Amino acid sequence: MKWLRKILDKVAPTFEEGGKLEKFYPVFEATDTILFSTDERTHSGPHIRDSVDIKRVMILVVVALIPCYVFGAMNVGYQMAMALGQSSTWWENLLSGALKILPIIAVAFASGAFWELLFAVIRRHPVSEGFLVTCALIPLVMPPTIPLWQVAVATTFGIVIGKEIFGGVGMNIFNPALVARAFLFFTYPGRISGDKVWVAGPDGYSGATALAVPAAEVSQDAVTLLDSVSQFDFSWINMFMGWIPGSIGETSTVWIMVGALFLAVTGIASWRVMAGAILGLTGMAVLTNFMAEVTGSTNTMLTLPAHYHLVMGGFAFGVVFMATEPVTGAHTDKGRWIYGIFIGGLTVIIRSINPAYPEGAMLAILLMNAFASLIDYFVIRGNIKRRMVRYAQ
Amino acid sequence: MNHIVIKKGHDIRIAGIPSKDVVSILGSDTIAIAPKTFRGVKPKRMVSEGDNVQIGSPLFFDKTKPEVKWASPANGTVQTIQFGARHVIEKIEIKVEGSDALSGQSFSSDQLASADRSTILNRILEANLFPLIRQRPFNKVANPKDSPRDIFISAVNTAPLAVDLEPILESEKIAFQAGVTALSKLTDGSVVVTSRKSMDLQHAGVQTISGPHPAGNVGIQIHYTKPIKPHDIIWTVDAQHVITLGKLFLTGSYQPDVIVSVGGSGATNPQTVSAKVGASIGSLIANQELDEPARLVSGDVLTGHTVEKDNFLGFYDSSVSIILDSVDRPFMGMLALGNNESKYSLTHTFLTFGEKLFNFNTAQNGELRAMVPINVWEKVLPMDVYPNALYRAILAQDIEEMEQLGMWECDDEDFALCSFACPSKIDVGAVIRDGLNLLEAEG
Repeated sequence: MKWLRKILDKVAPTFEEGGKLEKFYPVFEATDTILFSTDERTHSGPHIRDSVDIKRVMILVVVALIPCYVFGAMNVGYQMAMALGQSSTWWENLLSGALKILPIIAVAFASGAFWELLFAVIRRHPVSEGFLVTCALIPLVMPPTIPLWQVAVATTFGIVIGKEIFGGVGMNIFNPALVARAFLFFTYPGRISGDKVWVAGPDGYSGATALAVPAAEVSQDAVTLLDSVSQFDFSWINMFMGWIPGSIGETSTVWIMVGALFLAVTGIASWRVMAGAILGLTGMAVLTNFMAEVTGSTNTMLTLPAHYHLVMGGFAFGVVFMATEPVTGAHTDKGRWIYGIFIGGLTVIIRSINPAYPEGAMLAILLMNAFASLIDYFVIRGNIKRRMVRYAQ
Repeated sequence: MNHIVIKKGHDIRIAGIPSKDVVSILGSDTIAIAPKTFRGVKPKRMVSEGDNVQIGSPLFFDKTKPEVKWASPANGTVQTIQFGARHVIEKIEIKVEGSDALSGQSFSSDQLASADRSTILNRILEANLFPLIRQRPFNKVANPKDSPRDIFISAVNTAPLAVDLEPILESEKIAFQAGVTALSKLTDGSVVVTSRKSMDLQHAGVQTISGPHPAGNVGIQIHYTKPIKPHDIIWTVDAQHVITLGKLFLTGSYQPDVIVSVGGSGATNPQTVSAKVGASIGSLIANQELDEPARLVSGDVLTGHTVEKDNFLGFYDSSVSIILDSVDRPFMGMLALGNNESKYSLTHTFLTFGEKLFNFNTAQNGELRAMVPINVWEKVLPMDVYPNALYRAILAQDIEEMEQLGMWECDDEDFALCSFACPSKIDVGAVIRDGLNLLEAEG
């Protein structure tokens, strides 16, 4: 790779101060340091440093998403074949699915990179690697039938309104990828909700997500109802494996768990948030199940057990890849537990009590993003109170 | 006896650990002291170029506290006095000739034990050694007019490549005890000595501590024993300086000896040497072959400052670290799996296992970024303080919030590991120092 290094070194002066293209230095710097690790040395503070940097952190999140990408492509292909009534092998599924989702990924990355670079050049800040994660997440939370222009608009909204207007990565309040999805959800609900969008099948093909099934019926048992669906296999194990219609990356809980394990072991994502969310989800589901028993409510969603909540809809994906985003979540360990528990609990509440929005995880996470600093505030006040008591002694 | 267990923190497995045996080296031809480096001190010189000085005779004093003077660590002629901006004295260099020392009153251990505060204080001031005593908060030269709540002495060094204090304290037991006895007169509280193993000491409370760095930092020890409240004054003295003070009382003169560790990835012969205060870096690293480009650091690699061969050992420093200074640029380095030879990380983001020592170089391993709180600061800070809330309060210059979050209990050296581990490459320690400066100026 010496030739590439030579080329970069040769063009470097053009972008440096006084060069013709000095305005575009952030673009050059980003390319240069993504291709070759920086040789910047320590100049203040400790003379030696840990090997990890933000580039590594961000790229590992993208790596953790790879299983979801691969499975997502296979599942999109599988659902297409099913809709057309064809039988297909796994690699045919992978291929046809990949052809379907690659344009979505390309558009997300192209528009994301455009805005990130534009802001870097105008605001004269270095390109932040965080946009890689945002752009990698957005396709995975889109239905496979999403129009490409909507992907571009959503990514733009996510990056610009979700992140850049706050000052970039590290200063944003809401998870940019979720902001992008929420934007589409409320502006173009027809292309991201309902029962026409989840399978890239023939025109007019209708296939509801698992969550929509119990939401649509009254006075039934959710599990029996799911088992009675003949169009898809909504058994728990099949939903856990992920061979169901849904957003591209959200269906397979098992592969999401692989990513979760990776992120927790590397220390990038907080296991406390994930554990808290599962705890909150379980607690709230037990409560709603109990409520369904004692109140005799006609709301079928109330009867959905916790382990079904876990494998349905975007909960697992949202909790592992969105809620754990360190900047927009709680910053204290105690706060992370509370933040996670609320996300889990709120997901069940939104799903059950407001069947118009069966996708509760996205809204729960965005809502808790807004409250994360408040949670931290109280945790930190606790610390301050302890200190003040000590000072008074 | 109190035992402190430190759970958070990290012992950096840095290669080039100095061997334990103390080696004598050729003395330094010139010795220097850098008045500018003392925090909060306005130095005024008491000597001119060409003057003859003895060990212990005063070189300069602090205009804000005129009774606090700095002793010459050498006998000889003042060779150069270097001034910086606004005529602040940067450095006083002395050409070493002989080893005559000023001598004064000496004390037997019984006399010491029965001496009163003013006798001890005046003797230290008169010997021009008061600057060996520092105070918390702010980690600066203490004020002899203060009456400290307690005096803390750390008898354990946990900083990377630091001198092992245990054998030194063992061999200088009597002088250390004399120093502790003398210091115990200066406070109405107690002298607290914190060590790895229990020590047999009089006139002091001894406590033990276990756990990784920064367990040896006196700030952490204070935090776990009795945290500093606003307007508390704690004095701290380095263990080796306690020995110096002890010898002053026992013999009547200043013995400017210091045991210095020389180590790091660039050290070909990592060793522990016996040297004089203010020795030239060149004399300390005389046994090292510096073939490859390396950075020399006076002090430890976390908190020390960069020096050149012809510079001098810092007043409070007892180690010289040599770190390789060549950094390469691997292709697609951010995707590398990494191994024990190429990566060192507190996060498990690389395939590194085991306890192998690592050849650190001066690479920052990344660019400065906004804070992304993945909990690494918290992992290495064993204090009941929320570092990133404090960090933001300091950036916002919100003094009240800083105080509430524990600013009084903090010192930048205790946050050095946070800077080491930070993936955003933020120099947390420097920000803590800014906060302390702000607090000191306004508070």
